[in-house]
Amino acid sequence: MTTTEAVETMVDVMAPYIGDMMARSATEAHCKKLGIAGGAVGPEQLEALLGKLGGGLNIFLGRDKAASVIAEARAALAALEGSR
Amino acid sequence: MSGNGGRKAWPWVLLGLAAGLYAGWAAFPSSGLYAGALTPHRMLVLAAALKLVYLLAGTAWAFRCRDRLEIGNPARPAWFLLSLGLLATFVGQLSLAPLQVVRNETPFPSVADIYYLLSYPFLIAALLVFLNAYREAGFPLGSVAERAAILSGVGVLAAVVAVPILQPVAAGGGPLLERILTVAYPVLDLVLLLPLALLLRVALHLRGSHAGEVWVLLLSGFVFLCAGDICFAWFQSLGAQHLDPFVHATFILAYGLVAGGAYRQLQLLES
Repeated sequence: MTTTEAVETMVDVMAPYIGDMMARSATEAHCKKLGIAGGAVGPEQLEALLGKLGGGLNIFLGRDKAASVIAEARAALAALEGSR
Repeated sequence: MSGNGGRKAWPWVLLGLAAGLYAGWAAFPSSGLYAGALTPHRMLVLAAALKLVYLLAGTAWAFRCRDRLEIGNPARPAWFLLSLGLLATFVGQLSLAPLQVVRNETPFPSVADIYYLLSYPFLIAALLVFLNAYREAGFPLGSVAERAAILSGVGVLAAVVAVPILQPVAAGGGPLLERILTVAYPVLDLVLLLPLALLLRVALHLRGSHAGEVWVLLLSGFVFLCAGDICFAWFQSLGAQHLDPFVHATFILAYGLVAGGAYRQLQLLES
């Protein structure tokens, strides 16, 4: 899976809760911090990214809701990977 | 409009009608409506009741937001501080209410001002804690240069608007305490505007989302709060107390919108 595909999938899941623009800027900022650049992204990097995004969503949604949104993002990423 | 949409809309329709009623009073005080059924005393009592209801609801909803967030969540203390700020304002309003209801008077200064002033440190701290929480979570608040530019812009704009209004109040011949308080509220509002301006950037990034709705409501409420205090100081300096209904309208909108923001956040946490 490419970084762009993963970012787009995560943004789509988070957008209803925090907006497309915030979801995109937060995901891209965390990618940069985690050293996730263009090209392929590995499962460990994806987990690290989801962890960071979950921490941010916590502030707006609380722990339980943030965890369910991250689970939704994880499932969407798995579906994308499975569709190949 | 669907039944659900209608249910969601009616509190906002009510808030708009209430604000419109007071704006109408200021604009057409001698019209039949205000000369007959809605006498100045009744309008004052209604304003007191509306403000108390919105402030109490806002306090309770902000506190429940705090309660719904787990210990250690960086936004939890911010909601607590917001609820304390609203509670202090509620107590201030509550201490004025008997005089407004029984004697048709709104003394200034009064014991209510202690509570109104007390609310500002809580509200300012709440906004600062929100900002810090968003920064720690990695949400974009802009570069240091962008933040400095936003703060400078707001500072300059505030000075341009506030100084000409506040100068005659400060230099006026009224009692010292009254002049100090009349200047203190807008000055505290200007301090409140600084974190608000930074949070506006966050709110713009959140637009179109559930969290965005929360921040649009909260920020609009705080802007009306600032506007209410500045209008109050301005009308005092002009000796135009007949325009006080506008001040009632802005405060009713301020408290209603902040309470609405807290309620929307609670819905988000409970969904």
